[in-house]
Amino acid sequence: MELANTLSQDGESRGGVLAHLERLETQVSRSRKKMEEPQSAQAEESALGTRIHELRRLRDKLRAEVKQHQASVKASTTNVEPDQTLEITEQESLKRKWENVKAILQAYRFTGISGKLTSRGVCVCISTAFEGNLLDSYFVDLVMRKPLQIHHHSIPVFIPLEEISAKYLQTNIQHFLFTLCEYLNAYSGRKYQADRLQSDFEAFLAGPLQRNSLCNLLSFTYKAEPEGQSFPFCARLLYKDLTTTLPTDVTVTYQGTDALSTTQEEQRAAHENLFFTKPLHQVFTSFARKGDKLDMSLVS
Amino acid sequence: MRREPAGDVVRAKQMDETVSEFFRRTILKIPLTEMMTILKTWNFLSENQLQTVNFRQRKESLVQDLVLLCEENRASLNDAALLDIIYTQFHRHQKVWDVFQMSKGPGEDTDLFDMEQFKSSFKKILKRALKNVTVSFRDAEENAVWIRIAWGTQYRKPNQYKPAYVVYYSQTPYAFTSSSQLKSNLPLLGQALTIASKHHQIVKMDLRSRYLDSLKAIVFKQYNQIFETHNSTTPLQERSLGLDINMDSRIIHENKTEKERVQRVTQEIFGDYPQPRLEFAQYKLETKFKSDLNGGILAEREEPLRCLVKFSSPHLLEALKSLAPAGIADAPLSPLLTCIPNKGMNYFKIRDK
Repeated sequence: MELANTLSQDGESRGGVLAHLERLETQVSRSRKKMEEPQSAQAEESALGTRIHELRRLRDKLRAEVKQHQASVKASTTNVEPDQTLEITEQESLKRKWENVKAILQAYRFTGISGKLTSRGVCVCISTAFEGNLLDSYFVDLVMRKPLQIHHHSIPVFIPLEEISAKYLQTNIQHFLFTLCEYLNAYSGRKYQADRLQSDFEAFLAGPLQRNSLCNLLSFTYKAEPEGQSFPFCARLLYKDLTTTLPTDVTVTYQGTDALSTTQEEQRAAHENLFFTKPLHQVFTSFARKGDKLDMSLVS
Repeated sequence: MRREPAGDVVRAKQMDETVSEFFRRTILKIPLTEMMTILKTWNFLSENQLQTVNFRQRKESLVQDLVLLCEENRASLNDAALLDIIYTQFHRHQKVWDVFQMSKGPGEDTDLFDMEQFKSSFKKILKRALKNVTVSFRDAEENAVWIRIAWGTQYRKPNQYKPAYVVYYSQTPYAFTSSSQLKSNLPLLGQALTIASKHHQIVKMDLRSRYLDSLKAIVFKQYNQIFETHNSTTPLQERSLGLDINMDSRIIHENKTEKERVQRVTQEIFGDYPQPRLEFAQYKLETKFKSDLNGGILAEREEPLRCLVKFSSPHLLEALKSLAPAGIADAPLSPLLTCIPNKGMNYFKIRDK
């Protein structure tokens, strides 16, 4: 009936029925919107709220992780954690063991023959010595192949390496190394004696010491007393056996024109015997100690 | 000062003109920077005498003064020869050296080498064959001896200006000789060396170079003196391979594996030690032509082709070592190139098998 009233009071309402309907429609949609807005706002609100919660949760989680990581790093550097100290002592003891083994391997050279494994075989080290003095070391680098080969070496060229390898390298490597060891030790020993004579007993020598590469032929003129009246003798020492450090042939002669007296002859013979039995430098040490009277007890 | 006994010492009130001239030319050869060192090594003129000489004057005048001093000291031909040896020892690279290898018979007694016996025996053999010859000796380190030989003939005096030199290390089978212009005397020289050193045979090796010390390193097998021991402070694995691969992280090496392989192969063959110095390697080829292509004129040729290939370098072995790493050649190199120090040869004759 209201509708009719609106209709009858035409003059006061604008438009007609349709306009009125339009107005009513707008009103309804407005009011509907107003009702929906708080709902959507609410929905949005709640959605945002959930999102905030999620982000906060994630943030807290990451923060916790960072803290944990920092704590563990700190713990490992300060070694405060009791469960990690056990690992450290194990490490230290291993390191000590390893260094000990390394030192033993290095000390092996004092046994005379030592070696180190290489990518192609083994590098053998022969360390020579004479009278308790450690002398030069020589190397042989072997290639483990059939046939066994020498890759390179530091054996002097006058040592008969080719001969020794031809005889023993392929059949008996132990014998090869021991023979080589023999030759090198003997050579080192002879060289040591000749060097000692040249450097320590220069005063006793009347001329230069004549020697050769193998030190197996030594020739020199000497006086048993450097200042005294004793006669100069010429000594010639031959070492025909390359595996020994004592001569195989000794000749002591007097270069003068007069014949030797009996005492001088005795002296000459005694010297010869000395050179046969004692290393060269020890003979001269005894000359230095006893003067012109030789202690026969030295000749054993 | 020690003089060589007997022999060809010229004793005269006035020094022989030829000897005087020989002194003059020998001293003139010596560069001023080395003059004092060489004269001191010679040890013929005393310290006092050397002090009386003005070493800052013009060379010709200096030489004159020195020759006068030599005359004062009654210097002999042998003293002059000794000075010549010392000069050559200081300038050994000026000569080209050949290598000879001697051998003994089987089952020989121990070599009891007597240097004095060797020298007198050597000289005697030469003098018996050639009346006119000057032989001089100078002992060197490692029980070696430098021998200087001036050759003459039956009727002509020895030519002091074209001497031959021999360097011999006692109790070794090797002798190094400077290539003498007078090749006709070579057999006699070989004979004298062989007999005096108690060997039976002598053979010329296919090895020649200016660098005497390198030749010695090659034949004595002393060129590789690097050995692995437990005492070494730097483990071999830490050795830098010479690759600058980690220089800049922005650079990526595409063929890194290949480069490493080449380095490894080169290191296996050439080692880490400095290579002995040679100036050339010569290959005389007498081989038939080989070709992948069918036909062609050369492929049908029955006779072998003859050609000479010569590699020259200021330092041949170092150059060969750098070929593969530089990318110029494939690794491994041909064994014909890499066998040079091992075989002790730098002259090769290659024929078809």
